[in-house]
Amino acid sequence: MSQQLVQLIVSGLAVGAVYALVGLAFILVNEATGVVNFATGQFVMVGCFVAVTTVVQMQLPLAAAYPLALTAMAFFGAIFYAIVFRPLQDRAVVTVIIGTVMIGIVIQNASLITWGSVPFRPRSPFGRQVVDVFGAAISAHALFVIAVAFLMIGLLYVLIYRTSVGARMRAVAQDRDAARLMGIGVDRMFVLTWVIAGLLTGTAGILVGPMWFADVNMGDPIALKAFAAIIIGGFSSVPGAILGGVLVGLAEMLGAAYVSSTYKDGIVFLIMILFLLVRPQGIFGERIGERA
Amino acid sequence: MPRPAVVASVALFLLALLLPATVSGYGIRILNLAFISAIAVIGLNFAFGYAGLITLAQAGFVGCGAYVTAILTTSVGLSPWVSIPIATASGGVLAVLIGLPILRLKGHYLALATLGFNVSFVIVATNWKSVMGGTDGISGIPALTLGSFSLGTDHRYFYVLWTALAVATWVAWRIRASHVGLAMIAVRDDEIATATSSVGVTRIRVQAFALSAVYAALAGALFAHMTNFVAPDDFALGHSIIYLAMLIIGGEGSIVGAIAGAVIVTFMPELLRDLGSAYLIFFGGLMLLILIYLPKGLFSVAAALGRRLGMARP
Repeated sequence: MSQQLVQLIVSGLAVGAVYALVGLAFILVNEATGVVNFATGQFVMVGCFVAVTTVVQMQLPLAAAYPLALTAMAFFGAIFYAIVFRPLQDRAVVTVIIGTVMIGIVIQNASLITWGSVPFRPRSPFGRQVVDVFGAAISAHALFVIAVAFLMIGLLYVLIYRTSVGARMRAVAQDRDAARLMGIGVDRMFVLTWVIAGLLTGTAGILVGPMWFADVNMGDPIALKAFAAIIIGGFSSVPGAILGGVLVGLAEMLGAAYVSSTYKDGIVFLIMILFLLVRPQGIFGERIGERA
Repeated sequence: MPRPAVVASVALFLLALLLPATVSGYGIRILNLAFISAIAVIGLNFAFGYAGLITLAQAGFVGCGAYVTAILTTSVGLSPWVSIPIATASGGVLAVLIGLPILRLKGHYLALATLGFNVSFVIVATNWKSVMGGTDGISGIPALTLGSFSLGTDHRYFYVLWTALAVATWVAWRIRASHVGLAMIAVRDDEIATATSSVGVTRIRVQAFALSAVYAALAGALFAHMTNFVAPDDFALGHSIIYLAMLIIGGEGSIVGAIAGAVIVTFMPELLRDLGSAYLIFFGGLMLLILIYLPKGLFSVAAALGRRLGMARP
């Protein structure tokens, strides 16, 4: 393989891993609480900037800065639950869509006032180090992103499928009323879901910072790619979100290099719309109730 | 709607004709923008308010109308009086082409597909420099003229927009009362029952979507000839959200509500100007509060107040 191709594939995988994390946060919230969170992109942006604060502004060592940023994002998820989710819960789909978009606008502009419009570039734990992979110089940060994303997905899998808390979360997702009758604290599971969403998007934000610039407008483009990823993978499928994210990341990087750099986002949306038309349940999707 | 409310709305609308005499230049410009948005939102009311289609593509169709008339009057050299009807129709054609495949989708799937269309529109407009001008957009779009009399000033253009809005409202009212309007509402309320009454559900959906796009494209064309300049930013996804917010704030499923919502939301930045950079925080928060506490929109509150004051008979 040519060096350029290896580089493109690795960076595509790294970007795709970020989209997968964001897509997972979106799916998790949608499955567990029934809310389509159009502010997911702003979660990533806030995560990125909280890391800017702990890493760049407070100059903490990374071993303290990253956990502190993630803790902040866990609280952010819990606050979002209390202020936004509770009032919007059980409303019509369109109310939730517009409501979460509006709160996204609030978050974006509050961040603009807090952090300003000049982009930051937080440093990577690996600096500008490069690693040799199949004779190609690969940024160590890209490999770090892929590894961390794998770790987070693994932890999420263990939590959901191997612990009693996970079983309770799945019960709430399947049938909220039945779960409540079984004595499961449904509201507590909702809080937990939003906290996990905060952690997943926070991780995505921390990882994205050193790859691109930290900019208050970064949320929407990332969310749009994550939407495309989950449509391609299957709206309610965890492996689908991972595969979809990776496919979108690869399509973006390879499309920009070999097809057209100006239309790279257009390529992604074209694939998404084709999937909606030809295979609306996505690659792994099973439930097609609301689709066709 | 109770008759006194209709009479009051019509009277208010006629009174608006006096506004250019009393309002300053900037106020009229904002009012013009509000009327243009009102046309797009009346259209959106067909797709969302009546047929229940969650579409995030309205700004894309506004852009379609704006760019078609911009290209036809600058590069091709047509008169705006010819290009505006063509631009308006082009919105409908584009909506049928897109709607036939994607209107099989529902709920947030439809929302995401239409969102994809709107984002793609902006990507194409930004990158197709030779035809759509890229980020620089298209400038030098001529203003409307009647013979040698220019309608280009904001005060004169107000009457053009007032007429367009009046016609758009009247047509919308006629469609709402026709079997097409009833079929749209029937599809939203009970799809299966409607289908068994031998009404083509998909055809009705596509009709509602195309109608909403025709109104959007008309609004876009009128916008292009007012600002004399179009650029991709004016038709970005955020504007589609604003159109939906206008409809919901005014009261979905109501033509008067659509107009009221458009006017209120367009003027809100002016009323909140003192907040400076915190304005969007307040705007987003206010929208959220209205969605939560007044889910039927401000118009429902006005109607309830009217009843309380004994304006309306039951």
